[in-house]
Amino acid sequence: MTEETETRAEGVAGIRDVVSIRLPAASAYLSVLRTATAGLAARLDFTLDEIEDLRIAVDEACAMLLSEAVPGTDLTAEFELTGQEMQVRVEVATVGSSAPKRDDFAWMVLTALADDVDAVAPSQGFPDRMAIVLRKRRGAAQRTAGPA
Amino acid sequence: MDLKLDHRTEDRLTIVEVEGEIDVYTAPRLRELLIDLVNKGNFHLLVNMEKVDFLDSTGLGVLVGGLKRVRAHDGSLELVCTQERILKIFRITGLTKVFGIYASVDEAKEAHGKDK
Repeated sequence: MTEETETRAEGVAGIRDVVSIRLPAASAYLSVLRTATAGLAARLDFTLDEIEDLRIAVDEACAMLLSEAVPGTDLTAEFELTGQEMQVRVEVATVGSSAPKRDDFAWMVLTALADDVDAVAPSQGFPDRMAIVLRKRRGAAQRTAGPA
Repeated sequence: MDLKLDHRTEDRLTIVEVEGEIDVYTAPRLRELLIDLVNKGNFHLLVNMEKVDFLDSTGLGVLVGGLKRVRAHDGSLELVCTQERILKIFRITGLTKVFGIYASVDEAKEAHGKDK
């Protein structure tokens, strides 16, 4: 695993950091990424519930991508921390895959727990890359997803 | 934390104790255990999730798969879970209506006894 931290700017608005983590695209490393996610969310003073939401959301996004990842390659996670928001982009190398599925439990959980989710399908410019970008804001109203 | 699995049978109910994290890495072990139990004729399963620290949709899929298997034998798969952060995942996916979810093993055993 490699980890890089870059401070892009820090002004009156507070933190604006980018943290990049690269690990093998293997499910055994997901717990490491969940722990990192929780630590970074805590740095932004997210509540315990929000931290847990982020841990699960990042896990779901990665699990979706890992099933499409080329064995032996890496998964990269880029966390962008601003004062109120964390954006996480997870990305893998893939071959011949289309967009991530949007009709399963993973997508249901991911979209319920994150405030915004974008799936970036392999495109003409990047035919061998697939990514999911999710954002969560501190203190955002919790969406009530699914039946109670 | 890894996943610890244990099971015991009381009357006709097989209680599966799960401790740790259920994710895409560990869920296959739970799947194998459930399949093995069903293959050995245990059709009434109670999965105790009180010591589960983490559950994602992969774990949900395993539990739903187990439920389908036992139902094919007129069996049952129910859960013990009081942790809000775990229950939240069941609510999001609407699975609180699919699984019987109890507050304790004793409560589940009592309900199961009434159903016999």
